[in-house]
Amino acid sequence: MKPDNDEALDTLAGEFVLGTLSAEQHAAMIERLSTDPSLRDAVDAWEVRLLELTALAAPQPPSARLWGRIQRSLNELAALSPPQQANWWQRLGLWQGLSFAGLAASAVLAFTLFTAPPPTTQFVVVLVTPNSQTAGWVVQASDSRMIELIPLGKDAVPEGMALQFWTKGEQWQAPVSLGLVKPGESYRVPLQSLPPLEANQLFELTLEKTGGSPTGLPTGPVKFIGRAVKVI
Amino acid sequence: MNSPVAPFDFHRCLEACAQGDRRALQALYDHEGARLLGVARRIVRDDAIAEDIVHDAIIRIWMRAASFDPARGSARGWIYSITRHLALNTIRDTRRETVLEEADIDATPTFHGGLDDIDLWSGSAKIYRCLEQLQPSPQRCILHAYVDGCSHAEIARLLGAPLGTVKAWIKRSLKALRECLE
Repeated sequence: MKPDNDEALDTLAGEFVLGTLSAEQHAAMIERLSTDPSLRDAVDAWEVRLLELTALAAPQPPSARLWGRIQRSLNELAALSPPQQANWWQRLGLWQGLSFAGLAASAVLAFTLFTAPPPTTQFVVVLVTPNSQTAGWVVQASDSRMIELIPLGKDAVPEGMALQFWTKGEQWQAPVSLGLVKPGESYRVPLQSLPPLEANQLFELTLEKTGGSPTGLPTGPVKFIGRAVKVI
Repeated sequence: MNSPVAPFDFHRCLEACAQGDRRALQALYDHEGARLLGVARRIVRDDAIAEDIVHDAIIRIWMRAASFDPARGSARGWIYSITRHLALNTIRDTRRETVLEEADIDATPTFHGGLDDIDLWSGSAKIYRCLEQLQPSPQRCILHAYVDGCSHAEIARLLGAPLGTVKAWIKRSLKALRECLE
């Protein structure tokens, strides 16, 4: 018999691998996995135990196009993998400590960075969760007039709530709303009405009631936060 | 036994990928692509989305090959984990809507057939012997969840069982499987 605590942890790990956790539970689990080695071990053990069940899904030959698509993506990666960007990214230290979705997310992030045309990207912001520093979104500014918010996964947003996107320059009096974003979807924002982007400018996503903050200022908890870093 | 194919060395393949050897990645794709697509297809229930997932999975495998840690599991397991979790992430947020559309699940053609692959039950993997020891309904819970990516609510409807019962079956089945596999 395992103690109740271990039992609960093991069930949680098992349900994570089965895929039956709710979006909220799953998001909490991803955060916990980056800091809880015993939970990670329990997940690894379930991955091993259940792996052979993948044989129950009948193989399906990929279309002839798929490998071509993969090769094109690989070519883009190869053509645009300047070492200075890799080094810049490694210095952030975010590669470490991420697993599963976090791991996958960091791969997307790197992919996003590597495939972005380097000469025009001036600022990059990695938005991380305040607690676990897990990367959740990337902001890319290809020039000073337009930014794009790119998801690295799908965040769980409770019913009746929404994610609101904010920014604040160091000298600004208050944050400015850049609008509501949908979990898992890219979002482009023109910045015409704001001063030009600056290094260290703050970006954050807060959880607000559907329709956005009623006060015009962030009222809910900060889900993701990051500052603009000048690239190149 | 019933496997005439020479065993594919997934670990060496990942090591070669980590060195930038694209032929290794292509060998992996040629060897495992159809099975990975099959796994993703069962979960997302859409051909085009399943191919997107395999595309993303292969790119991630390529980029993260150097980070694979054999102490945490097999290289093959790592590849399948990446693919399955990508597929599960894709459906997780659309599930609430999926659940509401009752007709949708029963109309999904791939949904029922797969579990009748009786041949596989004679396979050597111990998990199958342990699954056989479960009652039929708890057994189906585990398979619908892992193989079909079903939520608790979807399983409840498929089995015509209360949601709470399904949750309890899954918890108990996980415990029984763990003990059986120890």
